[in-house]
Amino acid sequence: MTDNSVMLEARQLTKRYGDITALDDFTLSVDGGNIVGVIGPNGAGKTTLIRILVGQARPTSGSATIDGCDCSRDAQKIKHLVGYMPDVFGSYDNMRVGEYLDFFGAAFKIPPVKRRARIDEVMETTGSTYMKDRFVESLSHGMKQRVAVARTLLHDPSVLILDEPANGLDPHARIEMRELLLRLAKMGKTLIVTSHILPELSRICDQVAIITSGRLRAFGSLDEIMRMVHQQRMFEFQLTNADQINAVSQTIGQQVDDATEIVGSAAEQTVRFRTGQSDQDLSVLLAKLISDGVQVGQFREIPFDLEDTFLSITGKGAG
Amino acid sequence: MNAIVRRELISILRTWPAAAIQVGTAVVFALLVVAQWPTGAVVDLSGVQAERVFRLFGYGLLTTLLLLVPAVPATSIVREKKQGTLTLLLNSPLTGWGIYSGKLLGVLGFVMLPLLMSLPAAAACYAMGGLALGDVLKLYAVLLLATVQCAAIGLLVSSYANSTDAALRLTYGFMLLVAVILLGPYQILQGKPWPYVADIALWLRGLSPIPAVVELLRQGDVGGQGLSAVAGNVYRYFIMGGAMTGLLAVWTARRLKQTMLDRPRPQGVMTDDRSLGQRSARRLFFLIDPQRRSRAIGRFTNPVLVKEFRSRRFGRSYWMVRLIAGCAIFSLLFSYAATTSSEDWGVETIGGILVVLQVALIVFITPSLAAGMISAEHESGGWTLLRMTPLSAGRIVTGKLLSVLWTLLLVLLATLPGYALMIVIMPKLMQQIIYVLICLVLSCVFSLVLSAMVSSFFRRTAPATITAYTVLAVIYGGTLLVWFGRDAPFGHDTVQRVLTVNTLAAAMHAIKVKGFETYELIPANWWFVGCATVACLGVFAWRVRRLTRPE
Repeated sequence: MTDNSVMLEARQLTKRYGDITALDDFTLSVDGGNIVGVIGPNGAGKTTLIRILVGQARPTSGSATIDGCDCSRDAQKIKHLVGYMPDVFGSYDNMRVGEYLDFFGAAFKIPPVKRRARIDEVMETTGSTYMKDRFVESLSHGMKQRVAVARTLLHDPSVLILDEPANGLDPHARIEMRELLLRLAKMGKTLIVTSHILPELSRICDQVAIITSGRLRAFGSLDEIMRMVHQQRMFEFQLTNADQINAVSQTIGQQVDDATEIVGSAAEQTVRFRTGQSDQDLSVLLAKLISDGVQVGQFREIPFDLEDTFLSITGKGAG
Repeated sequence: MNAIVRRELISILRTWPAAAIQVGTAVVFALLVVAQWPTGAVVDLSGVQAERVFRLFGYGLLTTLLLLVPAVPATSIVREKKQGTLTLLLNSPLTGWGIYSGKLLGVLGFVMLPLLMSLPAAAACYAMGGLALGDVLKLYAVLLLATVQCAAIGLLVSSYANSTDAALRLTYGFMLLVAVILLGPYQILQGKPWPYVADIALWLRGLSPIPAVVELLRQGDVGGQGLSAVAGNVYRYFIMGGAMTGLLAVWTARRLKQTMLDRPRPQGVMTDDRSLGQRSARRLFFLIDPQRRSRAIGRFTNPVLVKEFRSRRFGRSYWMVRLIAGCAIFSLLFSYAATTSSEDWGVETIGGILVVLQVALIVFITPSLAAGMISAEHESGGWTLLRMTPLSAGRIVTGKLLSVLWTLLLVLLATLPGYALMIVIMPKLMQQIIYVLICLVLSCVFSLVLSAMVSSFFRRTAPATITAYTVLAVIYGGTLLVWFGRDAPFGHDTVQRVLTVNTLAAAMHAIKVKGFETYELIPANWWFVGCATVACLGVFAWRVRRLTRPE
């Protein structure tokens, strides 16, 4: 769901710590109601970007705004606009979940009666109502993540910035977290989510930003990025006889002009290659192989996923 | 070498405080000896000079050990528990005894260094004459046993604790109990016509290394009253201290097995959901039931203040009621003793003991509550969250400071009935007691602000707590070592100047405790402590403001 107005904007953000450049001329614009995944290898600058957006770090140059408010100058407004969930839970000993949420609600000056209702509401949204009387430090990791999301929702922010929300969750909890994030997006929230679990992001994100070495390498919808990165598609022949692998590889080399990365696997009885040719051109290749007596069990295109895309981009970035 | 010994010892030796302790010990003892080394052609045949230096030297070493040793073992096991490495250790082929001895020897290896560094100074004292070699060796044996005893207490507490600051708090609490408070029963019971009870109290006192050290330094008996002073404290300590250390070692080593971490998660049962009978019984037992659902934080209440009380185990109302009631009862009992036994002790003695115990309580409680103010927030990740709320730095600081100040003032208020009783019996004490109370309030505020300031410089609670304890112990205990050396080697003016920083000494002066009445400490001490408090508060406010601003 997109409301089309720009909710978050970073303009030529640069952040230096001494000689280290954590963010380098970073520009990004996010529309309201979108889920944006921010991915990058460790030390790429994701956390620095988030810290600037939530007003905890000042950029060396450039600026960032959320709903028109400057992230550095309008710190108080940003606190009300943004719900931030860092990668560390931030628990307090001897406090029950209800008391924990009550404290943060009171810190946001939500009046007591309204606060009680709001706590019940966010706990229901995040499926954590049953944890209300438990001690915070005794919660499992998955439970803590839910409580953390509930905490970020307390003051009803327009933008949620979630650092690794699916980190350390089991598959079941991960699915639930994914559903929760989609539910929040449906409520009209703009979500900025960082994660290392790329399949998770690919399933929920409207847009993906890939960062390496403090620079934005790619930004757009998943399809747009994949088209940009993978100009060649990958195909696979599944053979019924491993002895024909060499012959098939040779034929591909002769018939397909731009074929690259032709790799045969005797164990899997497959031959893979990359090409930019059309399906029609490839049907000629298939006909040739069959007429040569090659026993083809299956001929298919291997779809790229976010992980491949990420590796391609970060590989370039590193280079 | 046991792998744990190597790891523990090397990891400790790599830290800068370890280097500072070693260099500091060597320099201080060297200076002490140099200051007293005979420069003229006259030789002190009686050995009095050497004895005086040796006395300071012995007390200094004991104080250093009692203050520094508990910190290392107290955090040793709980830190591994928090980091998850204890599970790895327990699943390794190492037995409970292997892990225990590794950790113990690691601590001893570290502590032996300052002891070894003090050896040249001890040798110099011996060379000055007047000291028996046997006494020097016995002193080192007592100090070594005290070290092992501290380590055994620390390791046991660490095996039960769930956080490093709780482990430190409890370990120092037990050390205070064993080393100081256990001296109390015999002090009261000696000479009374209940021989067995007094004997038990005497042997109980044998758990503390202090009487043994006092005897070895030829200062008679701790609190000995005239001819009733007893000897044999050194052997009593070897027996009792040794037995206690052995028992604690067996206890801890037996705990170090896989089942140690096998605990169910508390399900969060609330009293509100129990039957009426259970609710009533709990109300009767707790007065304020800890498992009752809390009310929402009030609209005009500082949420940080409430959060601090709620997140502190001993900050919960039912614990506060117990603490205050305990202090009130203790204070009244002491005052009763002062009025009924004034012929034996004198009001100054009782008043002095009361003041010492109160300051000890303040020094014990304050860092444990205040040294985690900022460091614990950093450690738990709560600081990032606090910064994301609209709470200003001033509101955070106020909430945190008030949460500790209220606790300390309540504890102090609880002792007022005792002082009031003293004034009723002896109205002429009114002014003295007002002075003492001013000193105590100043102690509270100063200890609080200093611990808070220390906290703002650390990102982990354990080093912050240790630093706060050390600084306060140096101010309140270390300066008293100079007082021990009054007249020789330190002159009256030097002692007075040093004691000016110590509010405990000022309070003792106010109540005219023997040995303190000759020094003019009030109002100089109040000025000093007041200015120091304001300075610490300024630094604390500046640090918090910096920490809440964007980087």
